[in-house]
Amino acid sequence: MRRNSVTQFITRKRIALYILTFLLVVGSFWFVHNNHEFYERSIAEIVEVETVQSEEVTDPHGNEDQLVTQRLEGVIQNGEAKGSVIQLDNEYAASQAYDHEYSVGNDLFVSIDTANEDGHLTGSILDVKRDHYTLLIAWAFVFILLLVGQRQGFYSVISLAINALIIALALDFYIQTANISLLVISGVSIVLFTVISLLLVNGNNEKTYAAIAATLLGTLFLFAVTSFVMWGTAGEGLRYEEMQFVTRAPEMVFMAGVLIGALGAIMDVAITMSSSLFNLYEKNSNISNKALRKSGMDIGKDIMGTMTNILFFVYISGSIPMIILYLKNSAALGFTLNMNLTLELARALAGGIGIVVTIPIGVYLTIFFINRKRARV
Amino acid sequence: MSVLVWLAIILFILMVVIGGQKGVRSFIALFFNFVILIISILFMADPSIDPIIVTLIATTILSCINLFYINEINIKTKTAFISTMATIIALLLFIIFMTESAMIQGFSEEQIEEIKGFSVYLGVDFVKIAASVIIMSTIGAITDVAISISSPMREIYRHNPDISQKSLYQSGVSIGKDILGTSTNTLFFAFFGGYMALLIWFMDLNYSFGEIVNSKIFSGEMVTILAAGIGVALVIPITSWVTALVLMKAGAKEEEKEE
Repeated sequence: MRRNSVTQFITRKRIALYILTFLLVVGSFWFVHNNHEFYERSIAEIVEVETVQSEEVTDPHGNEDQLVTQRLEGVIQNGEAKGSVIQLDNEYAASQAYDHEYSVGNDLFVSIDTANEDGHLTGSILDVKRDHYTLLIAWAFVFILLLVGQRQGFYSVISLAINALIIALALDFYIQTANISLLVISGVSIVLFTVISLLLVNGNNEKTYAAIAATLLGTLFLFAVTSFVMWGTAGEGLRYEEMQFVTRAPEMVFMAGVLIGALGAIMDVAITMSSSLFNLYEKNSNISNKALRKSGMDIGKDIMGTMTNILFFVYISGSIPMIILYLKNSAALGFTLNMNLTLELARALAGGIGIVVTIPIGVYLTIFFINRKRARV
Repeated sequence: MSVLVWLAIILFILMVVIGGQKGVRSFIALFFNFVILIISILFMADPSIDPIIVTLIATTILSCINLFYINEINIKTKTAFISTMATIIALLLFIIFMTESAMIQGFSEEQIEEIKGFSVYLGVDFVKIAASVIIMSTIGAITDVAISISSPMREIYRHNPDISQKSLYQSGVSIGKDILGTSTNTLFFAFFGGYMALLIWFMDLNYSFGEIVNSKIFSGEMVTILAAGIGVALVIPITSWVTALVLMKAGAKEEEKEE
């Protein structure tokens, strides 16, 4: 009887959860398709597109492209001019490196100028409304994680959301208080990230404590090595002037980026070391420290290459468009790479140092925690 | 000597001391990856070649290096390789759709200072380049997850040769579930480390929430992070399925040989 009501309760809870998720998905999509009134900038939905002109162009470097002029007609979706028709001109190159080809159904942010003699509004295009695409891929991400990972997938999504929130709050705090160093804020955030992510993903147990300790020590070592190298060489060869989007001291921003960027990989290594060694100990509690150390180092050898690669590809790939821009503008290859890749390579190499050094740190710390457990038993 | 040289030397020494022979190979693989990446960028810059084709060829070579050279050619790395490529092809279709519809390719207006003085009429399809960038940035993580699943699955099969294909598949998925959280975490922080400057920049210049969310650069970064996460999740069932299938077939063959 009792079991029956429990299962009933669980299915009911589950159905309620499904309904809630469904409502959230539908509601959020409905919102981003109807949130025009929340924007201050005027939004026009394109209803008619006409290609007026199309010509071949060749730039000074001999690159051939197709330059197209479009005349667009849109309907304003928000503000005082809501419902009125606006005419917009758009010019784009077929390669679309900096411009866009628009089609019917696109929502565009526009600035409204004046009405022309037909009584139609004219204006210019400011940007594309992209929020519904970001939402689409965000839901796709959440659903695939839940489908594949179920409970673990759910915890992963939650932990990512919390980490994103911490980053946003920490940066906001940094912007508000002018006199606290970014490195101090990053340091505090790193401790928070490590403790929260590892506890959430791995549970409240000794395995997790060993991993937390190893992550923090590994990150500290990474910080020491990188700052020592940067101090010793006075940052020689790092092209901070090519760093994008810099409003603050570039060395600080770079350093914080190195530490936070490598943190996920370092946590991954630390948790791999501690859970596999604890696993060995649980299977055979008489296992010697020497055997544990050997197994730990063997596992570490297996993962260090692939872990370093993850960081490498994430950092380097982002520079591809800029490198192509340089090369197609007749810049020499050496100069192009020097201008665009030094910071990314430094980040990847430094991250690799953090990953590799966490292997022995993780092994020894886990053995220390295992011995503590042994002494208690 | 420059920062890069010092960091490379320190990394090399650490890899050799801690990883021995395998450490040397990991370091050399890193160097090969760099060379392959640069060569594929040179091909992408040629307007007559489709960047997507270049990406597919480049990812094939890169996953060969990272699976077959760092480890060795065996049934584990072979199934990891097949699964990686299958995942990339499935992911590619979705990513091309996203880059085309969200218009996140090329350079944003925030970068105008930087690209000032450059010609942007280059004849190269930047929409496809954007899709290539996303695929390239996830290849490391996808091969990592694939090998982390196929390798213990091989062990499970060796210890229980009578296991059914279905339960072998299920044990693969359950290994995958355990690493899903840390893998998405690794990617998430790696990307955010790179985006720190951008986020501070948005805040310093008082961008409104609406402006940030709709800007090309932010949407582009979000699509990249989330697509990478989707790739890492997708490779789990794909690798489990492929590995279970191949191990079963290979096991059946061995039995025939014995007879």
